Parts: sequence; C-alpha cells; structure tokens
Amino acid sequence: MGKETKIITKNWGKINSQNIEAYIHAGGYEALKKFLFEMTPVSGVEEIKISRLCGRGGAGFSTGTKMESVQKEKSSEKYFICNLDESEPGTYKDRMIVDNDPHLLLEGIIISSLIVGANKAFICINGNYRKQAHILELAIERAREKGFMGEGILDSQYSLEIEIFSGAGAYICGEETALINSIEGHRGEPKARPPFPTQIGLFGKPTLVNNAETICNIPWIILNGGHEYAKIGSEKSPGTKLFILDGAIKNVSVVELPLGTSIRELIETHGGGMAKGKYFWFAQIGGSSGRLILEKDLDEKLEYDREAKIPVGSGAVLVVDRTVDIHEMLLSWTSFFRRESCGKCVPCREGTFRLWEIAKRAKDGKISERDLETIPDILWVLGNATFCPLGKFAAVAFFDAIDNFRKEILKEKNIN
Amino acid sequence: MTVEKILLGFDPEPRNILPALKKISASFGFVDEENAQKMADYFDISISRIFETATFYDLVKTKKRAPLEIQVCSGANCATKDAYRVIREIERQLKIKAGDQFNPKIRLEIVSCLGQCGNGPVVIINETAFLRVTPRKIYDILKNYL
Repeated sequence: MGKETKIITKNWGKINSQNIEAYIHAGGYEALKKFLFEMTPVSGVEEIKISRLCGRGGAGFSTGTKMESVQKEKSSEKYFICNLDESEPGTYKDRMIVDNDPHLLLEGIIISSLIVGANKAFICINGNYRKQAHILELAIERAREKGFMGEGILDSQYSLEIEIFSGAGAYICGEETALINSIEGHRGEPKARPPFPTQIGLFGKPTLVNNAETICNIPWIILNGGHEYAKIGSEKSPGTKLFILDGAIKNVSVVELPLGTSIRELIETHGGGMAKGKYFWFAQIGGSSGRLILEKDLDEKLEYDREAKIPVGSGAVLVVDRTVDIHEMLLSWTSFFRRESCGKCVPCREGTFRLWEIAKRAKDGKISERDLETIPDILWVLGNATFCPLGKFAAVAFFDAIDNFRKEILKEKNIN
Repeated sequence: MTVEKILLGFDPEPRNILPALKKISASFGFVDEENAQKMADYFDISISRIFETATFYDLVKTKKRAPLEIQVCSGANCATKDAYRVIREIERQLKIKAGDQFNPKIRLEIVSCLGQCGNGPVVIINETAFLRVTPRKIYDILKNYL
C-alpha cells in the first residue's frame, strides 16, 4: 500500500457517478455481495474493528466499537443514520462525496445497516444541499431497481429501506442526539447521555449514527479486509481522510490523503503552496471549531488521537494570510457560534453571546480593560461547563487568537 | 397549493413534522398561526409544539418575509475572502444595517456556512445563490433587484 491509496475518491472524475452501471462496472456493490454471501454481521463487525476505523465527523470515536454495541442490542427494530448534515464552516467534503460517488455512499449505508441489524436507514442531509438530495433520491431508486435494497436484498433474507431526511439549517444537528431529536420533530437540542443512542436512540430504538465519510470506508474494508486497511496511514488512526484545502493557497481543493500527513505537506504539496503575493500567517484546522496553527507547528501530523496537539476535526484546512483582518475572523467565529448555540444550557448561550459582543467591540476599537479581564473566565466556562461540545468548540479559536495575536487584536484601540 | 393539500402529502407521524414545516414555510413564505393550528390538528399535537420546533430552525420562517431578502455567509472561509467588505458594501448601497428589522422592504441577514466554501463569498438574494461575490460585483447583482 503506497501513499497513493484512494478509497473514497477512487472514482472521482473517472466514471459517470450518477450512472449505477458505471459504478458496478468499476467494481461497485461487490462488497455488498461479498458481505451478503460470504460473511455474517458478526464477522463484518470483526473486520471493521480490526481496521481500527474511527469516525470522520470530528470526534474520532472507534466505528467498530459503536457498531458492535448496536449489533449486540436485542431489538426487532433498529435504525441506521447517515450523518450528512454537514455544516461546519469550511467543510464540504460530504457534499463532494454525493456529487462524485453517491453509490459508494449508498453501498456503505446498506452494508453498515445490515451489519448492525437495522432495517431502516435515514440519510440526514444538510437542508441547503438540495441538488445533492435529488442525486441521492435518484441513486436510491436505481439501487432499488437493481435489488440492492428493499425487500430481500439480492434474494437474501436481508431487507432495508432508505429514506432521505433533509435538515432545516442547524449546526448543532451534527451532534447525534440533536440529530435524532430533529428527526423526531423536536427542537434540535442535544440530549443527556447515557442512555447512548446505540441503546436508546431514534424513536427509542437502538440507533447507529455515522458520518458520511466514515461510511464510505466500509465497502473497501469489507472487500480488502481490516488488516489491509490498518496498514494505511498513521499508526494511531489508520486509513485515509478527505482534507478540504481553502484560503490563501494556489489549489483550493478536496484531497484524499492518509492520516498522519503533516500540515506542511498538505499546504505545500497538495495546496500548491501560498497563492501569489500572499504570506502565511496562520492556518485553522478542522473548521471554525478548530485550532489556529502558526508557522512553527506546521510539521505536526494530522491524525485522530486523544492526545494529539492539533485535532483533525472535519479535515478542513483554512490558510489565512497577512492581509486578513483578525477582527473580522473573530467576528466570523463568534457570530457563528452565537447563532448556532441551541440555547439549552446557560454557559453556552451566554458565553457565545458575550464573546460575540466582545468581538464587535474589538472590531470598533472599543475593547475595554474589563473585557480583557473577563475573556479568560468566559473561555474557561465555555471549555468546561457546557452541556455538549459546541461550547467547547466556540472557545478554541478565540483562545488561540487571544493567545497569539493579542497585539493585533488590541492595535485598533491605540489608534482611536 | 392549500395547506391542507400540503399536509395530506405527509403521514401524520413525528418524523414528518419538520419536513411539513419546511414545505409550508417555503410555500407561504412563513408559518403563520392559522397554518400552524391546522398542522397541530393534523399531527394531533399542540400548536405550541409546532412553534417549539418551527422557531428552532433557520430554514423554517415564522415571521413574514420582506420582498427583498439578502443573506450573506460570514463563515471563516468567506471572511478571509472579504465577505465583510461585501456586507459593508451592501449596507452602504441599500442604506440598511445587517440584522435590521425596521425596513419592511429589505432585510439583510448574516448567515452560517452554506457548504459552498470553495466558491465564497456566497450571497443569497431571494433564494438565488451568487458565488465568488466581490464588493465590486455586488452593485451589478443588486441592480437587478431594485
């Protein structure tokens, strides 16, 4: 396995992705057949556990472990949810997956559902992705005609229905309990755990929620085995990852690379380096909830690891150059989290609101001594006292910005 | 299409509450109390449950919309590409402020990421999306709506 291993993007730009014949011709749905006729759900989970695949949505939890706990639940009704409600700023990898290879996603959804014993799957897609929802609808129809889903898949005993659930624009619905709430017709607020959705999830039934990108790895693992997958990329978290390169670089693109690739390599080799006349200032890894990386940290490797200095998050890499106004970045981050805080818990609702106010004052050059004193308090509360990770995310970039760019942030003050 | 017809397109099950709300909001511009009551009766839940859900989501409107609605993405990626200058330019040309509710005809809103980051800044005017908008281009775009 060289560096060239492509799992998710292997068909991108090569086949007419919306044509199911083309996908089958390129070896598609072979993994489904292999699972149906040569494997059992238990051996399927075993392969995924061996592969050490972990969730690509941001948290990086072991997919095999999650699958196993749903599989072990004794319930006649189980649900599988494909989380395509991607709304992290700077992240559009799942949209690219649907645009370029919808059937790979479907095949992954079908196999994952059958492994855990779900007979109903939901694809929860971002409400703004109308075109992509349409592509998936057509793909589901084609797959049904071919007998890959519906009653008695390929004349086996397995059955599966897939339904598309289009979201209504709420960032928090990327969190799995909030997502479940929104399908149930409630406000998309997160729920306390335990009970975990794997035990009591959608409509009270065991539910597996996986990110779309995670799901796209499943067919490859089933076909080639978990041991082969575990050889790719980093020791701690094997496999490949989609990285979204954007900002002041030459090639704005989505690339698939093994985990463990350094940020420098991403920017210089795959992003083509800095755009003409732009000078590197910092990079933000993992969307608006991600950390800010200075020049000295560029050699850090991106991998899923609890102790990692730089969390991969969604895989978005935003390169910011010297011409960008840090005040506008602060406003962008804080206004985003203020808007998207669901309001369930006070630390997040108030904390994100106050940070936004401070960012506005900073922009107007009116930041006060009192603001500077309270910023650490607000950041601590957001980082430690909120109900779900959204509050924690809201503090990350602000903390790094105050830490590294204090002078730039306060500069306006001296001018006025 | 009447609200009754829209509702009959959905089974009265909890999982259809949000899709029905979205459809009513898109067809009528927003969900008013009368339609919300009809929906509550159809799904056999209280009207407060309908509004509880409706008010949470960006794509479900509960207030009457302005004839000209402009939304600008201010996500970090768009922000590095001058989204805030585009916002200031719109504010200057239309003599309004972002988030202002006073003007009954025009509303300018700053919204969260729309998943078009490679093509930012993104401006949406009455549901039509414009990509790679620059402060200079925005004048020509707005001209067609005034």
